Amino acid sequence: MSAPGASTTQSHLPANAKVDRGDTHLTALRRVALSPSLAVALTIGLFVLYGITQTSAFLNGQVWINLIRDASFTAIVACFVAIVMIGGGLDLSVGSVFSAGAMVSAAVAFHGQSALVAFGCGVLVGAGVGLLNGVIINYFSIPAIIVTLGSLFGVSSLVDHFSQAQPIAPLPTSFTDIGQHKLFGLPYIIYIAILVAIIAYLLLHSTALGWNVRALGANREAARSSGIRVRALSISLYVCSGAAAALAGALESARLGAGTPDVGNGLELTVIAAAIIGGTSIAGGLGTIPGAVLGSLLLSVLGTGLILLHVDPTLQELATGVVLIVAAGIDQLRRRQMFRTSARRALAAETP
Amino acid sequence: MLAPTEIDKQASTSQGPALEVRNGWKSFGHVTALRDVKLHAYPGEILAILGDNGAGKSTLVKVLAGVHTLDAGELRINGQAVDRTSPRLAKQHGVSTVFQDLAVIETLDIAANMFLGQQIRRGWLFANRRRMFAEAADSLAALGVRVPSVRAQLGELSGGQRQGVAIARAVREDKPIVLMDEPTAALGVRETAHVGEIIRELKRLGKCVILVSHDLEFVFKVSDRLVVMRLGRVQGSRDTHHTDQQEVVAMITGLTGDDEATARS
Repeated sequence: MSAPGASTTQSHLPANAKVDRGDTHLTALRRVALSPSLAVALTIGLFVLYGITQTSAFLNGQVWINLIRDASFTAIVACFVAIVMIGGGLDLSVGSVFSAGAMVSAAVAFHGQSALVAFGCGVLVGAGVGLLNGVIINYFSIPAIIVTLGSLFGVSSLVDHFSQAQPIAPLPTSFTDIGQHKLFGLPYIIYIAILVAIIAYLLLHSTALGWNVRALGANREAARSSGIRVRALSISLYVCSGAAAALAGALESARLGAGTPDVGNGLELTVIAAAIIGGTSIAGGLGTIPGAVLGSLLLSVLGTGLILLHVDPTLQELATGVVLIVAAGIDQLRRRQMFRTSARRALAAETP
Repeated sequence: MLAPTEIDKQASTSQGPALEVRNGWKSFGHVTALRDVKLHAYPGEILAILGDNGAGKSTLVKVLAGVHTLDAGELRINGQAVDRTSPRLAKQHGVSTVFQDLAVIETLDIAANMFLGQQIRRGWLFANRRRMFAEAADSLAALGVRVPSVRAQLGELSGGQRQGVAIARAVREDKPIVLMDEPTAALGVRETAHVGEIIRELKRLGKCVILVSHDLEFVFKVSDRLVVMRLGRVQGSRDTHHTDQQEVVAMITGLTGDDEATARS
């Protein structure tokens, strides 16, 4: 679509109205320097460096593989929960949905279906819970935190009801292979997590949809006024986070070789913490996928690292809490700083 | 994406009003914001809507823009009755709007705001950021809006710059009907005159421009016709060149009775 209206008004153009089309190197550099992903990456690096000076266990390859595998589960869910949050929502139900995905896929595999069908059924159930969350939130105008808290309880209860709180085992090897096999020395799960993160990244950062998501989260009314179908968009985000949580749950069943009904307990908080540590704003509109992935990694590194450093395991979650609050605090400072310096820049541009 | 060219054709060939409200009513709870409102605006016309605070101007604009749906009465765009509306449908019918609150996203950059909900795509999935930066810069430069960079976040801009971006977005959409709710609210004298030029340019292109403004001087300078609203009703309509500020102020404040009542007596 061209802009004939714009081109024909050129006669009124003030002589010096020039609009910068790109970034100067300096502003690009500043953007990177201020990004929460860099802060999280530096934190991980410093912590690991400190760890290496304390114990050689930090240099053990198998420790790192296990650590990254653990982070993979968090990251698969955190990427899409971050997208929900960037879109102005919140999904607390992912903990139960993770368990539901684990149990449904295990049950389907246990009854002799192929691994693909088992995974498909698990993911479908997760997507279904997400759909229900999204529809209730968007059509009945109940806050997302309440709806998804409700479904966190509800789904968890249903999982216990249908499984009688008993694990499902044994599972066929075609199913468990996906969770236990390795490629080039790394578990499949890590590759799957990387793939999921890349999909989430492209979705949020490269597609037209991703820009609509950020608009939705920052200012829903403005998004609607601009012709974005805000309800459909918001619902689709919950469907994605439900599906991602169930996929991670199914992978966990495959890794453990059994469907365990309480396997996702507490995951929702870990995942939201990972997203926030990675710079996702609880108020919506801001956040990145690399941030969510690095946040997941930081939590795993902290968890494993503190054990290796012989810190009392009961203090582990204290560390998580402190990091979470510090991350949110730095984010506030960063945003204030960003708007202050750039307001000066904008003013300079306006004065001819 | 819809085919705007088809709508353009419709607008220019139809002799009737581009936009029409017939006996429109709208209430919010106990407050009746629009009472039996009649309004029509033609292609190539600049229609100003005037009125005191709470007269129903903004509600009327939001009805025209598809944000609100009338409780009773009819909204016709290009002679076509529109019964269920949304901003998306209004846009598809050829209406673009500069909202009073500008409907911009502070955390997104200027280019993303200019193409909100209608990104230029590469394939059907990916956003073509490079072209959006370039075209946003072109649109803003053509309208003489000064901004530091199209990558600057909207939240960094002054009120006047934001207004410029919102207007540039509506102009770029190139729809036959353009609604502007208080487009000069955040602007200085020079910028206001500049917006007047943009509006006249839109008229020259055969578009129907509907303008809501408190600024009587501005309205008298740019509009062809003006409609005065009072307490949710249309108090009267005047040819801008055959009235003066005194008469219009009298209509706004209710010193002069509404046209229909005068006609009946």
